[in-house]
Amino acid sequence: MSSNGSQLDELFAAADTEITAVYDRCCENAPNFGVRKECFIESVRRTVEKYVLPASELPLTSQQVVDFVSQLQSDDLFMAIGCARGSERAWWEFDQQHRAYMERVARHLAKTDVDAQEVIDQVYVELYGTKVVDGERQSKFATYSGRGSLRGWLRTVIWHSIVDLHRAGHDEVSLDELTENVGEGAAQAGFAESPVGGEDAMIDHLTRERYRKATLTAIGNAFSSLEPHEKLLLLYYHAHGMKLREIAALVQDESSPLRGWFQRKSAAREKDPSTRIHESTVMRWLEKSYARVLELFRQELVSVHGLKPEEVEICMDLALQDLAGGSIYQNLSAT
Amino acid sequence: MANTQLNNIENTRIQAVLARYLELRSSGQDRADLNGHLDEDTINAFTESRLDERQSAPVVNHLVDCSFCRHRTVELVRLTMFFDAQDEPVAARETASEPVSVSSVLSGILSRIFGSGDAAVFAHEERPDDEEKSDPEADEEEPRS
Repeated sequence: MSSNGSQLDELFAAADTEITAVYDRCCENAPNFGVRKECFIESVRRTVEKYVLPASELPLTSQQVVDFVSQLQSDDLFMAIGCARGSERAWWEFDQQHRAYMERVARHLAKTDVDAQEVIDQVYVELYGTKVVDGERQSKFATYSGRGSLRGWLRTVIWHSIVDLHRAGHDEVSLDELTENVGEGAAQAGFAESPVGGEDAMIDHLTRERYRKATLTAIGNAFSSLEPHEKLLLLYYHAHGMKLREIAALVQDESSPLRGWFQRKSAAREKDPSTRIHESTVMRWLEKSYARVLELFRQELVSVHGLKPEEVEICMDLALQDLAGGSIYQNLSAT
Repeated sequence: MANTQLNNIENTRIQAVLARYLELRSSGQDRADLNGHLDEDTINAFTESRLDERQSAPVVNHLVDCSFCRHRTVELVRLTMFFDAQDEPVAARETASEPVSVSSVLSGILSRIFGSGDAAVFAHEERPDDEEKSDPEADEEEPRS
């Protein structure tokens, strides 16, 4: 047995009381789903093995496993396991609880009612599973881990089905372009080159090129130096046009790690960790990141590229001028 | 006051430069093949803030580098907000006196997809071990001990 396997055995043995309590609660709520304890544990174990164990190099503790199990959407997971195993009762409950909502989501996203119905039918077929491998029916429910809500998962599945439906009707269109037609999308950037002509213009061009390269490197390095959560916030706001209230919604839950990372040094959090995240809070987080980027940007231009303060201002002006033309960002590659 | 104005000007300038850089960085990002993207379960759990720090860290790292997955999370946040704002209780379906069997629900779906020939008749399979346990429990009112 692999070391991971025996480690998990120990962790699950230590967490058995919690797991049993959760399983018993699910059985009490849904006694007729026919889900055996071994199946429930197998599902949870698969999730821990796939998502939790490899997420960090730090060893997993039994308390973390207990916390993980207690935070699962266990009733949803119980229903999903029942459906995956073909329980008629589980399927009936699922249909009762979720079909109307699924139809609403599909109708909201699809172009026509016919498309919406096609998507719902397709999703049901996938959820049931028409493929059999080694005697086991492959139900899409088996991919639901119980970490998020079942309803949210269904929303995600339907969204992807709509994207696939659109792809089927378009040839040679990238997935990115297609997904930008589903719901709101970000605008595409354009590039332009600066005209060059004459000796003076050539010298000017070479000087400007030097400043441009320095600016691009400095802004790229400044961004790269931020923490991942800061980068993500900036990308959501600027690259995807996410509104402040949308970002606030993403981090509203007290248990959101994104929120936790931003609030780590916040005095307000120490006073009241459950305080609501307002748009102004998100704006403050953004402003802190801007200040950090500006500081790193200036530092690099001065210390690495040897520019004087007035040259730093020239770089900033050039970058702003080039926002219209875009040439400073030519040949930009992903970092 | 002058310092504040200067700081606001600097703030605005760096915002504008950064915004442009980020837009173009995103559009220039290589798209990993679909197998390199976050799966539906993870995307959903992330947008619902259900992942702890341990699980969130690699997800955030992926999102920083993957424009496609970021876009998915943005759309799902918007979708969630849309339906939360509607705040309509989903009307319970009229319940029949007997539960409708899943086989009849799925038969209807499959016959719409594949046609109504004999080959499309859906036969729901219960696993033998499930069947043994489900029958005696079908009318149970008490929870399992």
